[in-house]
Amino acid sequence: MKFSFFHLMPYPYLPDDFDERYDSSALTYPNANFDPKLGSALYARYLDELEYADQLGFDGVAVNEHHQSAYGLMPSPNLMAAALTRRTTQARIMVLGNAIGIRGNPLRVAEEIAMLDLMSGGRVDSGFVRGIGWEYFGHSINPTKSRSRFNEAHDLIIKAWTSEELFSWYGENYEYRYVNLWPRPLQQPHPPIYIPGAGSTETMKFCAERKYTYMSVYAPTRIVRRWFDGYRQAAADLGYVADPERIAFSVPIYVADTDEKAHAEARPVIEWLYRKGLKQTAEMVTPPGYMSPGSLRGVLASGLRGLGGDYQELLANGQAVVGSPATVTERLARLHAELGGFGQLIGLFAIGPSTHEQVLRSTELFATEVMPALRPLGAAQETAAS
Amino acid sequence: MADVTPAEEFLQLAGGRVHLLRGGTGEPVLFLHAAGGAGQWLEFHSLLADAGFEVIAPDHPGFGKSDDFPEVEAIDDLVYHYLDVLDALGLERPHVVGASFGGWIAAELAVHSPHRIGSLTLLSAAGLRLPEHPVTDLFLLPPGRLIATMFHNPPPVVDAGADAGPDLDAIIAAYREATSLARFSWVPFLSDPKLERRLGRITAPALVVAPSDDRLIPVAHAKRYAAAIGGAVYAEVADCGHAMYFERPAAFASVITQFLVSHPLAESGASR
Repeated sequence: MKFSFFHLMPYPYLPDDFDERYDSSALTYPNANFDPKLGSALYARYLDELEYADQLGFDGVAVNEHHQSAYGLMPSPNLMAAALTRRTTQARIMVLGNAIGIRGNPLRVAEEIAMLDLMSGGRVDSGFVRGIGWEYFGHSINPTKSRSRFNEAHDLIIKAWTSEELFSWYGENYEYRYVNLWPRPLQQPHPPIYIPGAGSTETMKFCAERKYTYMSVYAPTRIVRRWFDGYRQAAADLGYVADPERIAFSVPIYVADTDEKAHAEARPVIEWLYRKGLKQTAEMVTPPGYMSPGSLRGVLASGLRGLGGDYQELLANGQAVVGSPATVTERLARLHAELGGFGQLIGLFAIGPSTHEQVLRSTELFATEVMPALRPLGAAQETAAS
Repeated sequence: MADVTPAEEFLQLAGGRVHLLRGGTGEPVLFLHAAGGAGQWLEFHSLLADAGFEVIAPDHPGFGKSDDFPEVEAIDDLVYHYLDVLDALGLERPHVVGASFGGWIAAELAVHSPHRIGSLTLLSAAGLRLPEHPVTDLFLLPPGRLIATMFHNPPPVVDAGADAGPDLDAIIAAYREATSLARFSWVPFLSDPKLERRLGRITAPALVVAPSDDRLIPVAHAKRYAAAIGGAVYAEVADCGHAMYFERPAAFASVITQFLVSHPLAESGASR
């Protein structure tokens, strides 16, 4: 099992009347509520936390991209990754990912990831995401083009990384007469690719065909199981057994010395994450064309549209893992079994308004007591699969 | 009250099938529907037909029972689509009436091919980019607020009852139409920045109508259309929101039929 420390870099200082006054923490939530002094201190603190995870022996430190939102303060994940290349030494630097569905110029993404790969000595993992619904409003990108833009940007970036001769690109969304990438990435043929899945069979097949890592987004266990099974089935359809290390389970994790302390501290921050950080209207989640009518029907039928926020339910559904080191170890081992196995765990340890001290303690307990106990899980699975 | 039962037809084009409703006899009126109302024959349509017109109301690509026409991606494609529709229907130079999104298509059609338009009626048409009078972002409005925005006097909310679950088919159908609208108009938002300077090309007699209380497309848009189209007549319908012929069908039918009757196609040298 490999472990990574994922940061969303939230802006936790929401006003007391947030619930009544605002229908989202993104897109329309006024940026007058952003205090630059606090924001500057947050960036320093959050980078310290990512660097600490590297020191503790996490296999990866992960950042991602969000726009116009208090939910996540990283419009440019590549900037954060660049900072991490100089202050971390062993962990993979995971950009999970660049939102290539909403970027105007995908070639720029190819260039920046290549730079990061060189700067980090080949430690970069490159995730690609479509960008979430509200970002299609925020960046005025037509959501009906989302999948087409994502697919084309992906194909262009891979070709730009791997081609050793100048080529031209004429696509539905992008045209380049001269693609001649300087610099080229260090890892060959290119940095490993991560793609989040949320039920689309197209995405499962896309990942399985290319042996990309398929990672879950926060959802109830029974649904994530369906996604992972779908990815494994897509691999089987192609005639191979999916490597568990290509399956990554993402979940918020909070560890404290005792169960009692853990729940007392975790409850408000988990509720913040699901009720405030992820608060958004149905219109923001699924702008027209962002999903196919068939996918929307599936989502509506499964009751997944909109996240709950009941703490006990979130715990029961595997959408947060909380407790003492022993409890968290046992719970994650059980989730591992219930999900049919996975070889990577992407933990969110800095959750909503948790304090720096809480994050450091939780991360440290996880690294020293939980990681060693769970480490063999992925390996055992691999043996069984081969 | 008028009660014309329309005939339902499907028109086969190269890119798919167009669904349309046709009712009444007389000079042809091509009616281009708003973002809502595809495939609906309302009191308003019957009133137009009853006044002595053959009303032909097609569903836009990706709306109602028309096919998606995936190659129709933007407003210029819609213009060519409707030139194909005119040809397939054998309409040489009909009256063209367009509402809201359909009004935008009608204006673009008239700019592209002025000689194909017998008369042009724009009902609170989208299409102009007036940053000082922004169009409400209907893509971000929850259904409840959409109704309140569309009507001057919003109709009472019908309680489907506690037992009635969400109607999945209706949600999916609405999402499909919103997706089609977004395909054509997400950016530039419900507008063609070049349209305004091209409006002088229009040669047909033109009527521009606005509801007095339009909270979706501010009345300034209709006034700008009227100012930019040579000889255009401007009219307002009082106590009415952007729902227009849904909210005040008789008033809208009346102002339109008066205009159509006073501009017969024969007089302008037009014909089917």
